[in-house]
Amino acid sequence: MSLLKPFSKLPDLNTANILLVENEEQFQQNLADTLVEETAVTVNVRLAKSLPLPMENDESRPRIDLVVFIINLTSDKSFESAKASLKYLDPGYFLGKVCFVATNARHASVRTGCLDALRQLAALLHCPLLFAEDQSPEGATSSARRLLTILKVASGLVPNTTALYLSSLTRCTMPPDIDQPSFD
Amino acid sequence: MGEVRADRGAAGQLSEAAESELLQQCEEQFARLEKLQNEIILCEPDICENHQEQSVNRLAATDAELKLWMSTEPSSLAANAEILLHAGKDEMLKLCSELEMVVSCCEAKRDKLRETKELEQKWLEEKKQVLLAANDHIERLRVEKEKYSEHNILLDTKAKIKKMKTYQEQLMESLGDILGKHVPPPQEESTASKKKKNIPLEISEDLVSLNTILEVLMDKVMNTPHDPYVTIDHTFWPPYVEMLLRYGIAVRHQENNFKIRLETFF
Repeated sequence: MSLLKPFSKLPDLNTANILLVENEEQFQQNLADTLVEETAVTVNVRLAKSLPLPMENDESRPRIDLVVFIINLTSDKSFESAKASLKYLDPGYFLGKVCFVATNARHASVRTGCLDALRQLAALLHCPLLFAEDQSPEGATSSARRLLTILKVASGLVPNTTALYLSSLTRCTMPPDIDQPSFD
Repeated sequence: MGEVRADRGAAGQLSEAAESELLQQCEEQFARLEKLQNEIILCEPDICENHQEQSVNRLAATDAELKLWMSTEPSSLAANAEILLHAGKDEMLKLCSELEMVVSCCEAKRDKLRETKELEQKWLEEKKQVLLAANDHIERLRVEKEKYSEHNILLDTKAKIKKMKTYQEQLMESLGDILGKHVPPPQEESTASKKKKNIPLEISEDLVSLNTILEVLMDKVMNTPHDPYVTIDHTFWPPYVEMLLRYGIAVRHQENNFKIRLETFF
């Protein structure tokens, strides 16, 4: 089992590396195309279906500054796969270098407990949970902008701020009534 | 850990001395970074699967960061004024552009709000006018209703009175006809019957007709409803009185035999 570690490699100059993990591989390509349009810093986007990452390009792979799990709420497999992938991340990543992006949250076929489960997971890991609209280019642009803000902090490009500091402010908090049975 | 200073991109048209100083600084930072990197790789991380432990981990890291912040002294990027000028200028320009964006955003928002306000005001004005018109209409309807109702009642009553009057006249006429036809004045006939029955009856000259008796009775009822009784005097021919009593047109007073009144037909 190979753990992905946040500080195993030296960073490159003015570069931020982001890893998008999505089981369905639908939204990540759009998001990647939008992310690399950023001009102020060099953004490297790596795509993966799930973790662990294959061993063969381990050497050529840059240091990953931010791991983003894209979870399609309409499919159970998406959530399970992301949950399984979490095991292959170094605990150091959970200090502000992991982020969840939920798509299709408003879709009619979302299973009732799914969003709550994801919220619970994100709250447990102290990670931010973003919601994205994956059908339109505008949705991809706005998601990319939000991810870039986190990425810049996570890769140390913003002076006087650290990933841990940011994640303390943006982490997902569990709503107080999540454990209560819902009456509707 | 892994600190990447933003001052690396600041070098534009710097003098050689400044540039070399910057480079020197970068070298130092990078050397420090490498050292820290090696330390990280050397120290064996304890793998924790437990979320509880992760929270503890997080707490420790936050604590360490806090301590670091507390102990850090603010320091300028470099001693060289030229570098500071450049960095400051860059920062200022960046800040300016960001502030400009904020301004334009605010202006757009303000314009939008103003537009909305105008629309709302127009709408309010229209609503006010509608309210006024509605109130006017209500008032007019009310007045109209009042006026018409009074007028109508008046007309109705007049018509009823007229109808009643004609009906009464009709009744009176038919009553007069019937009386004139079937009940002639008492004088002659009474003398005839007196002769037949041989009853010594004095027929006074001032006997009145049945019409007059009825009229007296009716007038009495109409004028003094509390006391409708009429005293039978010598002008009332007894057979007429008898007939009135027998056919239930008049009734006697319960205590006084000489008083009669018109039967209550209503």
